[in-house]
Amino acid sequence: MEEPAVEMQGVSHRYGSAPVLREIDLTIEHGEIFRFLGHNGAGKTTAINILTTLLVPSAGNARVCGHDVIADRSKVTERIGYLPSDVRLYDHMTASENLEFFAKLSGVSDPRRAAAETLDYLDSSELGPRRMSTFSTGMRQRIGIAQAIVHQPSVLFLDEPTSGLDPSGVRQLRETIFRLNRELGMTVFMNTHLLSEVARVCTTIGVLNHGELIYKDSMAATNERFPNEASLEDIYERMEGHPS
Amino acid sequence: MSSPRSRVTTLARHEYRAAVRSRALVSLIAILAIVTFVSIYIAAIAYRSALADYEVYVAAAQAGGVQIIAPSPLRLLSLLRGAIEYIEIVGAIIAITLGYLTVSRERANRTLPLLRSRPVTSGELATGSALGALGIISTLVLVTGIVALLCLGLIGNSWATPYEVFKVGLVGIASVLYMFVFYSLGALITARTRVAANGLLIALGIWLLVALILPQIGDTLDADNQIPGGLFSALAVDKAQETEILTHFGTYEFVRTGIEELSFAKHYERFAFAMSDVQDKYQGFTLAQLAREKWHDIVWMFVYAVALGYGLWRGFRRQPALPQGEKS
Repeated sequence: MEEPAVEMQGVSHRYGSAPVLREIDLTIEHGEIFRFLGHNGAGKTTAINILTTLLVPSAGNARVCGHDVIADRSKVTERIGYLPSDVRLYDHMTASENLEFFAKLSGVSDPRRAAAETLDYLDSSELGPRRMSTFSTGMRQRIGIAQAIVHQPSVLFLDEPTSGLDPSGVRQLRETIFRLNRELGMTVFMNTHLLSEVARVCTTIGVLNHGELIYKDSMAATNERFPNEASLEDIYERMEGHPS
Repeated sequence: MSSPRSRVTTLARHEYRAAVRSRALVSLIAILAIVTFVSIYIAAIAYRSALADYEVYVAAAQAGGVQIIAPSPLRLLSLLRGAIEYIEIVGAIIAITLGYLTVSRERANRTLPLLRSRPVTSGELATGSALGALGIISTLVLVTGIVALLCLGLIGNSWATPYEVFKVGLVGIASVLYMFVFYSLGALITARTRVAANGLLIALGIWLLVALILPQIGDTLDADNQIPGGLFSALAVDKAQETEILTHFGTYEFVRTGIEELSFAKHYERFAFAMSDVQDKYQGFTLAQLAREKWHDIVWMFVYAVALGYGLWRGFRRQPALPQGEKS
């Protein structure tokens, strides 16, 4: 039986004396598009930082594709792609050079070809020879996603991927995520505090409230459970007010 | 999966390319190249003139049947003095800037989390960056050395012998070591400061102290430097008497020497000047004699390089993957 894509058991984290995550238990299977919802400071980014091996949790265990994020760090990093919020990449390099650099670090056998194919897949080939310093926020985001998938990871972590994007950029991103999941089979784990954008693409949602996971279920089950709510905003507000 | 070696190589190439594309760094390197070239060019022209005079003297002496002809007082490698001094000053600033850029680039681009989310360890990151910087520094020193030797031959009309080329090579190695120490200093301090620009300023302050202020204090406190030509010479005191006199100032000399020993730049300068015949007293020394005379400076240079290299490695390992203050 295949190990879950993401597994958190009793994961807690604190910065100094301030708790940010409180005993999170969470399992995400392969092929899901999981979305963490929560207000600013709810602990969403901390959770992603732990799962991408950037932060050691204060307590608990976290595994990605069956590998412990602390003990098997290198195995975890081989299987994941990561797009931080406010992605910048190297301004002095072209988009293609950035992608080739990150592909090489991940051990891709033909980095140049992988970079070209990734740009082509994202309909961004025209950006390849241009320097990053000339890019708009939306272009940077596209190349940011390209660097996250250039080595074809199993699990893709996206931290606030829509921040700074205009409505058309958000729509394009949503379609990209959908394609990555359906066509390449990537499990997607993303954070956002915006709601309306998520409804059509995610398969599962989790809600974090002051570091506690107060809700986790499939979108289908969520819609069944809250049949009278007009939008996800209403459901979210209700959950934050009345944790189940 | 990539091997640690291929990742380190990738990171080193990345560092090299980033440095080459930095306008600030390229400007500094251009300044060093120009001042070095001008310094050697002017010295070589003077040397050519002096060499011509000497050749006229030799021809006249031979024509006059003189049996014993005075050897040439000219020392070809001493023309490199200016180049060594520029490496000591501008080279150190270039190296500090290189170290500062290594750290500040990752911070400004927010790429450290991306690097650390790949199968890259902090040790590989430190090693790759340091090797890339060594590559830049070595290229710079190598090109400077080749241009200097060509200038001596083409402008000074005197080509260096293989032995002299070898000695220039040793000065080159010392120069790489010297600049690497300042690279490590710049990178280490920038990595330890929250605001990268503060790291650059602190590193430049330390450079000012060890490259200019401490040697100057040491020189000023030297009794023999108090009057032009030397105090002891002016008093007609020979070397044995000078040594005898200085034994009465043991503590003073200990403090003065200690201040000079603190300066890494002084050790580099002493070694490089000895190898390039800048100082009269080392003229005609064999390599073994020079090594015996300068082992102290060689050891100190290695101590500084190893200590700062290790400090850099540790500093990089401790550098947080996430930008400081990012907590949500």
